[in-house]
Amino acid sequence: MIPLIAGVTLRQVGRQRRMTMLILLGLVPVLISLLFRLTVEPIGNDYIQFSTGILATFVVPLVLPLTALLIGTSVLGQDIEEGTVAYLLAKPLARWKVIVAKVIAGWCLTYAVVLLSIVGSGGIVLFGEDAISMVPAFVIASAGGSLAYIVVFVALSLRFSRSLIIGLAYVFVWEALLAQFISGVRFLSVSAYTVGIADGLTDVEMEILDGTLAFAPAIILLVVLVAVGTWYSVRALTRYQIAERV
Amino acid sequence: MTSTERGSQHVQTSNEASSIYDLGYRRYEGERLGRSQAVRALYRESLRAAFGLGRSWSAKVGPAILIFFALIPALIQLAIGALVPVDEIEFISHDDYYSDIKFIMALYVGVVAPDLVGRDQRNRSLTLYFTRAITRFDYAFAKLLAMTTAMLAITLVPQLLLLIGNALASDEFGTFLSENWDQVFPIFGTAFAGSWLLASIGTLIAAQTPQRAFATVGIIVAFLLPLAIAAVLVQEIHASWADLAVFLSPMDLLDGITYWMFRTDPAPEDIIAMAGYALHWSALAGLVVALGATGLLLRRYARIQA
Repeated sequence: MIPLIAGVTLRQVGRQRRMTMLILLGLVPVLISLLFRLTVEPIGNDYIQFSTGILATFVVPLVLPLTALLIGTSVLGQDIEEGTVAYLLAKPLARWKVIVAKVIAGWCLTYAVVLLSIVGSGGIVLFGEDAISMVPAFVIASAGGSLAYIVVFVALSLRFSRSLIIGLAYVFVWEALLAQFISGVRFLSVSAYTVGIADGLTDVEMEILDGTLAFAPAIILLVVLVAVGTWYSVRALTRYQIAERV
Repeated sequence: MTSTERGSQHVQTSNEASSIYDLGYRRYEGERLGRSQAVRALYRESLRAAFGLGRSWSAKVGPAILIFFALIPALIQLAIGALVPVDEIEFISHDDYYSDIKFIMALYVGVVAPDLVGRDQRNRSLTLYFTRAITRFDYAFAKLLAMTTAMLAITLVPQLLLLIGNALASDEFGTFLSENWDQVFPIFGTAFAGSWLLASIGTLIAAQTPQRAFATVGIIVAFLLPLAIAAVLVQEIHASWADLAVFLSPMDLLDGITYWMFRTDPAPEDIIAMAGYALHWSALAGLVVALGATGLLLRRYARIQA
């Protein structure tokens, strides 16, 4: 049943207009990279600096969370909003399987957009350079990052009816705004985990990445967050009373 | 008496011209205040709604927190001025203020604008508005004016607080004011111009959708994405056409207008300085963007289905 539910969700969310908008958002870094490649004659490590800038300050903290937010709050949230979740939960099916299916579907969609962004922009700028090893590092790290974001936003959409606003506050106020003033925020910020993991996976010296999380804490915190988020979502859905809402 | 009889009797007794429609409800006999009062009432109520006044506490939290955040730099300056009796401690200057709180400004517009214009679309109350004395133009105008006024809470108020903070820090309050009299015009000028610029863009985006969350996402993306794109294009791509990107980013335009009005120069590492255009071009571009956004907003409401 898991692949079936995941497939239905993929089609249902993937066809919406927001998916087009998100793909356009993911193409922005690719377009800028193309402009860079076509117009600039880089000297020394200009390539690395530009690519780090695009990947670590544009794709990971902006494209990734926004994509995950719009997708993560709708894979299960839309069913709850429209009342169709009752048909899903009325089936003789363990509820944790529903969560797993929804998370997989959201993760696939998010990762597709982010992958396009990373491979496109990184590949264009770093093609034929030694520093190309940055790209697979970010590809792997953002797989973890998108999973963590999706889990968090699915849990939010189960708990709150206005999950999009709350998720937006988390992404822009907590991760983006407060992180500038309070360095401790990085211990509870998925984008900081993602950058930390990417930094740990590559030998390329990324100059603007001082003060990021080290590899080990980043990956441990990410795993803990995914585990806690999944556990919370399963618990919330298990206790979900169909009769109350319909 | 059967119901048919009662009905026919009713038709006979009532005024002939309105006999079909008159259901016998009591009429409004009082004074009708007309269009200008209606616009004023809409403006007043929209402004109250912007701060969540007359609504539940959950509507007040967002704007209140963001206004507080926007005031923090000025409050720190005020505290320094009150505690340390030394001249010329400059924690933050007037011309850098908006640049430092631009993130908060984007969030503020994202929270407030969808509340002002989205609610009426969601509740389908536009129909009710447009059947009254108010026209479509009046409605859009009142909403934009209310949003612009609401913006003053995070533009003009912190700047004035900062001016007072600096005045307190100096030895002579009166001397300080007479010496810094030339700052007053730019403070008001940038506050009004910046408020209009950000409010017109925010209201325009918010008017496109009744769904609040999408409007909020759209507004924040519209302010922050061009900012990031302009930074990358200007810093990394050394071509003259890439420098034009600063004119497409509202927050960079606001910075340019501010430096222009205060007659100061941006720091060399500032994006506007790196792009290298004279500051009056930023002011002109800001005017064009604000006028364009206002025009599109009026057009949106001229065509919106209600």
